[in-house]
This record gives sequence, C-alpha cells and structure tokens, in this order.
Amino acid sequence: MTAVVLRIKSIQYRLRLLEYIKKAGAGHTGGSLSCVDILNVLYNRVLNVSPENFADSRRDRYIQSKGHSVEALYVVLADKGFFPESDLETLCRFRSPYVGHPTRKIRGIEQNTGALGHGLAFSVGVALAGKKDNADYRVYTLLGDGELAEGSNWESMLTAAHYHLDNLTAIVDRNQLQISGHTESVCRLECLTEKFQAFGWSVRSVDGHDVTALADVLGSIPFEVGKPSMVIARTIKGKDVSFMEHDAKWHHGVPSDEQYERARRELETLLMEAGA
Amino acid sequence: MTQTGNTRIAFIETLTEIAAQDPTAALVCADSILVVKGQAFAQKYPERFVDVGIAEQNAVACAAGMASCGLVPFVATYAGFITMRACEQVRTFVAYPHLNVKLIGANGGISAGEREGVTHQFFEDLGIVRTIAGITVVVPADEAQVRHATRAIHKTPGPAYMRIGSGRDPLVDCEDVPFELGKVRVLADHGNDVVLFANGFVVNRALAAADVLSRQGVHPTVVDVHTLKPLDREAIVDLLRQTGAAVTVEDHNIIGGLGSAIAELSAEACPTPVMRIGLRDTYPRSGEPGPLLDYYHIGVADIVEAAKRAMQMRDRKVR
Ligand SMILES: [Mg+2]
Repeated sequence: MTAVVLRIKSIQYRLRLLEYIKKAGAGHTGGSLSCVDILNVLYNRVLNVSPENFADSRRDRYIQSKGHSVEALYVVLADKGFFPESDLETLCRFRSPYVGHPTRKIRGIEQNTGALGHGLAFSVGVALAGKKDNADYRVYTLLGDGELAEGSNWESMLTAAHYHLDNLTAIVDRNQLQISGHTESVCRLECLTEKFQAFGWSVRSVDGHDVTALADVLGSIPFEVGKPSMVIARTIKGKDVSFMEHDAKWHHGVPSDEQYERARRELETLLMEAGA
Repeated sequence: MTQTGNTRIAFIETLTEIAAQDPTAALVCADSILVVKGQAFAQKYPERFVDVGIAEQNAVACAAGMASCGLVPFVATYAGFITMRACEQVRTFVAYPHLNVKLIGANGGISAGEREGVTHQFFEDLGIVRTIAGITVVVPADEAQVRHATRAIHKTPGPAYMRIGSGRDPLVDCEDVPFELGKVRVLADHGNDVVLFANGFVVNRALAAADVLSRQGVHPTVVDVHTLKPLDREAIVDLLRQTGAAVTVEDHNIIGGLGSAIAELSAEACPTPVMRIGLRDTYPRSGEPGPLLDYYHIGVADIVEAAKRAMQMRDRKVR
C-alpha cells in the first residue's frame, strides 16, 4: 500500500470515526484522531493479522492500552473486514457490544482495555509467552502519553527489558495532552527518551502522522536485538480537524451539528488534496 | 498441641506434578519464589517460570497476557498483594475477559501472621474476590485439601483464587471425606440440632466445638464450605432447613467472607439465625495462631456459645 493510499485511508478513517461518534453522541474524539495514522500503518503495513488468521496462535498481536480511543480501532477493524462497518451504527447503544472501550467480545480485539496503565503489562505477558514457546509473532501496544503516569507501566518496562523482549514494541501516542490539559503541566513526563532508555528500551522518535516515516520505523523492529522497542510518535490531538487540534476539550468532546459539518468539509477537502 | 502441615509446599508440589502432565502450566512470582518454595519448580521448568520482581500488578496482568496465549499461569504470592494491590488487574484483566489465570494467595487469615503483623495478615481477601464476577474462590482446610483444590482449579477452565496459609497450617483429620469443587464436605454429622459451616485453617476448631457440644447433649453437623464461590446453594439450604440454626466459622473479617455468604443465602432462601464467628471488623495483633484466634473470639468456646445462641433464637421464634 503506497503512502498516498495510506494517507487517503487515514482521512477516511477520521471521517468515519467522527460520523460514529456524532451518531453515538459520545466518544474519545481527540485521542482517536491523533492515533489514526499509527493504527493505519500497523494494520495495513506491519501486522500479520487479519480476520482469516485471527484464531492462529502465530498471528501478531496488537493491544491498545489507550482503550479510550476505541473509535479509531473500530473503524480500522471494520475496514479490515473483522465485522461489517454497519455494526458501528449501534456504537454505545443499549445492548450493542460496541461499547466505549475495547472488549474481546468484538472480533479483532485481543484484550479488554481502557482502564489505563495495563496494556503494557498484558503485552509483556503475551511477549513472554511468545519467547517461552519459541513463537515468532510480534507484539505491539499503543500507550497514551497521559497514562504514562501510571506506575504499572514502569513495572512492565523493567520486566520487558529484564527478559530481553525484543518481540515487543510499545508506541506512545505523544500528543502532549490529557483530559485536564498539557501533560507537562499535569505531571511532567519529559525527558521521556532518556527515561525509556534508562529502563533498558531501545527508543526512536517519529512524526506520528507521517505514514512513510511510521512504516519505516515500525518496519525496522527490533531496533536492537535483545531489547524491547519504544516508539515515541509525535502526534497532534484532534489531528486534521482545525478547531479540534491541540485542544484538550476535545478529549471526549462531541461536535455540534454545525461543528460536525465543518469538520466533515475540512476532511473532504484534505481527501481531495490527497488525490482521492 | 495441634498438628500442622504446610499448605505452601502442598501447593507447589501439586503444581509441579501438574506441570509434568500439562506443558501449559506455569508459575508467576512477584519475588515470592521463597514464599511458595518454588525453587525446585523453577529449576525443573525454567520455561514455565516467570518472576517479575516485587510488582504484583505487573504479575497479574502479565499472567493475563500469558493466559491469552494458551498458558495456564498460577500467580503465587501473599493474599493481600494479589487481592488488594492487584485488585483491578484481577477484576478487569483476568475475571472480566474470563482468562485462565489461577491466583494463589498466601498468609490467608490472621492466624498466618504469626510474626508479621497486619501488613502481612490478610483477612479481607475473600470478601474482595467474592464480589468479582466470574471467579472461583476456594478456601481449603489444610495441606491435603490444598492438593485436591490445586488439581480442581487447574482442571476447571477460568479464573480462580485459592487461599493458602503460612506454612504452619493445622491438619484436619477428615481426609476420607472427598473434595469436589463447588460441593460442601460434611465432616461430622452428630445430628440436626445446629449446623456449623467452616472453612480454611479454623475448620479443626469447628470440629472441636462439635465434640464439646455433643458431650453436652447438643448434636451438630459440621460442614466444610471450601468453595466460597460458586456456593453449594442446594446443600447449604438443605442444612439450614434441617437444623434451623447455623454458625459460620472463618479466619476472615466477618464482613464479606463465609459468614456473609451464608447469611445472604439464608436471608433469601431459608431465613435462619446465623451466628458469625470471625474477626470482628478490626485490625488484629499478631502472635502464635492459637492464642491469637482465641483472643479474637474465634475459639472453640466461642463457637459452642454461638451454636447455643443460634438454637435459642430458633426456639424463641417457634414459641
Ligand atoms: Mg495524550
């Protein structure tokens, strides 16, 4: 899949996730928009996972620790054919399995997540099992930057380095925002690169909206044999909708009718510019 | 002097036997290998052993990840560090997705904290796990029962919590009564005057109380409710009907454990006076298990007294 096609897909995913959030009247808008390009590159370029091999123990595993951004995951999984996209019309409705955080009830989702700070520990277990079974699948997990304040992440980082889990990659959606505001003013995270390195991880930083750069970085894993890989993906919360970008209030903001139309027009313009 | 066994060794020996048959069985420790005497297991099955360091939340969530790949991890460390520190991991990442993780909690009860004090005495574990949907909760009475229970939870797919003790755990002389997960064991049947429900390392006290009562002309039945969840509702309701008076005996806070479980069932299915013997919602001292349990009114005399009160309440109601 070429960079142009990937770029077009990202904009389409953004359009769809906004549509379902608007219909449901709920969702984590800003964080879903920020991680779309990462999910796009993972599912369309990196992961050996599909509806056909989802029961195969040799499949790659993706665990979304920042479960809040489930709307982005839903549209990508629907696009990959894990379930009919029309299912998402029921998002957040009574009796719909498509709830506001990932659950294993949905085909394509590996683990219930959304309570923050747990996805990495779970992924370490999956990667450990792979090493112990001499399986060659790879494990990817997506962390929000805000959730790095959870101490459980740092416990898991120690374990991953200790057991040389070079089959494990963590990606931080580094959009610099969490629900209350800027990550550095809520509880300072920087210098993240040095912290991850000190915990024994091999670290690379990348523009989290540049699909070519993301594909390059995620395609060259492990960065170092014997070490887990950490990707700091520099992103923009609310990406590609001008009035949502860099604004914490869109963490779980739902657009009004007027705002939704404006967002849709902006994304459609981007789609044309991308050559769709 | 009560004879003691070692439930920690009983657990690890049984897990080692299981691992010889089942290559998916694994042991996950949080710097707790010495707690469960796991050195021989780790040596024999290095590919089935993980130590994550002093990080119980990490241990439980890692085990969930391992279980998602088909392994059957037994996470073994102190009861309170599993059920309190890693409570959310147990609930949201093991029980909710129904992953095949077995949780083994050591130092269950106040009697286990002989030298250690409240930080290492755990009398809330059962109340905590019992409120979590989809998890089997087992409280074996002694080392022999731990062997049966370990095999039973291994055989039964899905999340389970099993309590073990300090390694100086009283033996109960009732080996001939078979263990079946989810079914009560009737350990002594002197008659239908009153039923004593007990579990864990105080079952021997309930049996001793039954002997005292018998000598005084009161004829109790003593029942080991080793599976706290799912509760053997049918058998328990039958016993409540037959006796009309009940006592619960446990080494746990009287809130949340066996006493609560029986009282809840009784209230809904067969209203019966139920006297709860257990730690009365306080923080205990530590010391030798015998005097400690007596001090907190989990003694033989307390059980005898409670049985008589339950019967009095029943008989007043009849008149
Ligand atoms: Mg963020």
